[in-house]
Amino acid sequence: MKSNPEIILKTQSLAKIVTLEDKQLNLLHDVNLTVTAGQTIAIVGSSGSGKTTLLSILAGLDLPSSGEVYLKNKAMHQLNEEQRSQVRADHVGFIFQQFLLINSLTALENVMLPAELAHNDDAKKLALSLLAQVGLSARVNHFPAQLSGGEQQRVAIARAFITKPDILFADEPTGNLDKQTSEHIADLLFDLNKQFGTTLVLVSHDLTLAQRCQRQVEMRDGKLIDTQSSVKETSVQTEQIA
Amino acid sequence: MSLLKKNWVKQALRLLRHELKRGELTIVVLAIVLGVASVFSLAGFSGKIKQALINESTSFIASDRVLQTSRPILFEQKPLEQKLAEQKSSENNLLTRNSMDKKSQQLDIKQAQQVLMSSMVFAGDNMQLVEIQAVSSGYPLRGELRVSFDNNLATNESVHAPKLGTVFIEEKLLSLLKVKLGDTLDIGEASFIIAGIATQIPDASFSVFTSGVKVLVNIDDIGATQLIQPGSRLTYKYLFSGDERDIKSLDDWFKPQVNDSQRWYDIQSKQSPLASALNKAEKYLSLASLLGIILAAVAVAVASRRYAEKHQSSVAVYKAMGASSTYIKKLYYLHWTLLSALSISLGLLLGYLLAQLGLYAIQDYLPVNVAIKDSATSFLTTLLTPLGFYPLIMAILTGVICSLAFAITPLKELVATSPLAVIRAANLGGSGASLSTKAFYFLPQLIALFLLLLLFSQELMLSFTLLIGGILVSALLLIFGRILMKVSRSVGTKSGAAWHLALANLQRRAKANSVQLVSFTLAIKLLLMIIVIKSSLLSEWQAQLPEQAPNLFLVNIAQTQVDKVEQFIDEQNIVASDLYAVIRGRLTAINDDKIVKEASKEENDGSDNGRQGVGRELSLTWRSHLPNENIIEQGTWWTDAKPQVSIEQGIAKRLKVKLGDNLTFQLGSEVITVPVTSIRKVNWQSMQPNFYMIFSPQVLADFPASYISSLHVTPPQKILIQRFLSTYPTISVIDVDAMIAQLRKVIGQVSIAVEFILVLVVFAGCLVLIAQVQASMEEREREIAILRTIGAKGSLLRNSVLLEFVALGAIAGLMASVAMELTVYLLQNYLFKMETSFHFEFWLLGILAGAGFVGLIGLLSCWRLLTMSSVTLIRRTM
Repeated sequence: MKSNPEIILKTQSLAKIVTLEDKQLNLLHDVNLTVTAGQTIAIVGSSGSGKTTLLSILAGLDLPSSGEVYLKNKAMHQLNEEQRSQVRADHVGFIFQQFLLINSLTALENVMLPAELAHNDDAKKLALSLLAQVGLSARVNHFPAQLSGGEQQRVAIARAFITKPDILFADEPTGNLDKQTSEHIADLLFDLNKQFGTTLVLVSHDLTLAQRCQRQVEMRDGKLIDTQSSVKETSVQTEQIA
Repeated sequence: MSLLKKNWVKQALRLLRHELKRGELTIVVLAIVLGVASVFSLAGFSGKIKQALINESTSFIASDRVLQTSRPILFEQKPLEQKLAEQKSSENNLLTRNSMDKKSQQLDIKQAQQVLMSSMVFAGDNMQLVEIQAVSSGYPLRGELRVSFDNNLATNESVHAPKLGTVFIEEKLLSLLKVKLGDTLDIGEASFIIAGIATQIPDASFSVFTSGVKVLVNIDDIGATQLIQPGSRLTYKYLFSGDERDIKSLDDWFKPQVNDSQRWYDIQSKQSPLASALNKAEKYLSLASLLGIILAAVAVAVASRRYAEKHQSSVAVYKAMGASSTYIKKLYYLHWTLLSALSISLGLLLGYLLAQLGLYAIQDYLPVNVAIKDSATSFLTTLLTPLGFYPLIMAILTGVICSLAFAITPLKELVATSPLAVIRAANLGGSGASLSTKAFYFLPQLIALFLLLLLFSQELMLSFTLLIGGILVSALLLIFGRILMKVSRSVGTKSGAAWHLALANLQRRAKANSVQLVSFTLAIKLLLMIIVIKSSLLSEWQAQLPEQAPNLFLVNIAQTQVDKVEQFIDEQNIVASDLYAVIRGRLTAINDDKIVKEASKEENDGSDNGRQGVGRELSLTWRSHLPNENIIEQGTWWTDAKPQVSIEQGIAKRLKVKLGDNLTFQLGSEVITVPVTSIRKVNWQSMQPNFYMIFSPQVLADFPASYISSLHVTPPQKILIQRFLSTYPTISVIDVDAMIAQLRKVIGQVSIAVEFILVLVVFAGCLVLIAQVQASMEEREREIAILRTIGAKGSLLRNSVLLEFVALGAIAGLMASVAMELTVYLLQNYLFKMETSFHFEFWLLGILAGAGFVGLIGLLSCWRLLTMSSVTLIRRTM
């Protein structure tokens, strides 16, 4: 359990500008965010508001055009791809909307993967136990194509927790699932998160899911608005976020 | 062991195991396997075939190489001081037996010698002019000397030189001299026992002008005959045989030392029908192999690109999980290396099996002629020896080059995949690369392809031409294909829904499709090319040896016998050429220049590097009409009565004779001078009497002449001829049946080899097609899912997919036919030196086969998608 309220994630004046056909697009603009260890935070917002862009920079998958990002006190904006990889390997877990399991690996092998990358000798034991926790003991040797969407996401959740990451980024974890399955997946996610005391950064347009987080922030035209109330104003989106 | 415990090794093995099992790597594996297998089997098989063919054909010169000279090569017998002095002064270039023997020993080369001369032989009161062939104990080095030891020729066996004191004679000498086996034959000062009847002499000259009957004696007996005197006209032949590489070294050693009075030759430098067929077959085999390699390489290129694309999302996930670039590199380079190694091994195995299968197939279908059944067995023993290292090394190199060079850029792109791709799928594929980046992308592949071509053909120009030609054709096809697709779209809007959808799809994917189109086109083109050239080669060979090719020559027919012979030929309905007069004469001057050295000789099978002394006799003839197989290249054939001569173009070039030059000939005591009024091209490969000099009738008609004719006779007719000729013993018969049979057999073998290679190339072509269709499968899957969702009927989707591929195939087929026609024209003209022709019948084949095959493969590949329920489809793709 991580009870120390240290700052695990911090951004300062974050901006992301891309050039598309000679036009400059400000995807992110002056984003300031601080997340303490163990916190669960939901980033909500309409399609194209910049949620996913923010997530990719927070997780070190992408670099900001300007501004600063600190993850576990590491200045991510100053690190190269390799160094950011190392930070991810040491501290970060992911859950994606598209599940992103490796099709040619079994459920068990998919879950073992991050542990193996972290040179954990107990990868298999840990993976089996996590798969049991998400209720997939009977399907450990199945390939992703042989699993339903909900089952695939359960594998992805098990995979995300196997390295006991300090921070978990979840990008629309229920976006591709029906309502009932979504609820089940959300339960699993929050249960495991509680169990491992992981910091959770969740991107979603699903307000019910967002409200299960301790804190909600909203992205609007590339800007971050850190208010509880703003969540309620955001209309429910049904379309998928590109 | 510790390496195996490394995570990246474990993961690479795990990925490989699963992906192989799940069939995700099948196309890549197949592409490399086929590339390696086709090179291995082609190199192995065609190498074997070539070797067998050369062994078979070298029997025509009884060795691999011959040094022919009119003076013997002597042993060096000089005092030591002189030798030392010579060594000091300079490198002595004079060829000696010592140096020849030493070199042969060094290179492990077998030697044999022959001395040839004409001489009278006597048996009791009878005598006959014969060709004495004195041979050493090693003779023949290639082919077989078959001798019958009973008077009825019921059996014969393969032997070497006759024992001392004995001779082998040709059958006709039995009747000419009225002798039988065991009788005595006097040659010069020595007497010999007739020990056997030679039924097959491997290097028996195939020239209608060497009419002498052969007598074989042991070379060690030749001294006893005292026939070798100063001034005797003798031909010395030194025969050599050995491994291909050793013979090549011997070539290099000999060539600079051979002087003007000597000739160094092999079977291929002989202008015989066989050599020509062999040359063309060899070129065809190499060309087909090259095209096979190109196809296999294209398949590897397409498949490795697909491999990289398929793995991009996995790499992104790995990276998002924190795997470093180094880790990914190690993991995927190992994965690819293992995959390549596995594929190469499988390829070698398959290639070996294919080559053996091919050889086995030949064993069964060998056109075994009864007369040459025994030599067929020797052919097979040659075949059944192991394939050797060359094909193995070539195949492994091909595999390595293909899997490295064709995969390097896609692999580099793969490991460079951004982890961001886990979030933005649009980043996958690296689209929008600039033209220069694309050029760079293809650079390693082009270099690799060039290397492969060079490695295989060992011909810089051919490889370069094929490569540059390929690039140009691809570029043109790319442009042309887009235009065609655009046109077909506007046509499609006027047709039914399925067609409409199909053509709309075609155009929408124009960029991807035009790449596909180029590879379809290239594959179909290469296949068409191989088929077209094969069929024209085969028909050319068949035309060369028609069913009624002359198999018998009558030579030395006296003027008084002409009517009788003609009458006999008519009565027996024998197919025969005209009777040609032969008058011996010497060319003594061209215009006012006396000929010093260079002249021709028709005695040497028309080989063109012969050099003879002054005034060597030529066989001259006169005709009122231009003979068949002769084409006037310059000037005109005579229509008036003026004295004139027509000269063959090869000798005209050699002697630097132009139209209008005056040639002076000495015929016996008479001297005639005539102007050259035409220069002829002669088909030396036609089995009919051919002449360098043909005079207008007025010039030679009054000279005493003998006549020759070529006939095609059936076995019963042959007996009749023998009976008829027994009344005219002076007429000589040259029977070339055995030689024709051998030629047919060689051509039969070549044809089978050619067909086998065709099959392999077709396989390679199909694989390219399948790999290409597979490459677009995921995109199609998505589209079909969308169309299904919006309510498109299964039949509409099926038809539109089928029609899209059919249209693609038909366009590719049409473009391939045009490209093929162009290439074949160039190849026939420059590489094969054949008559060029158009092949419109193959255009239809190209279009139909393209449409049918591409349509079928496309439909079959998409079949699973087309029959899936909408729900499954959507779940798979969303």
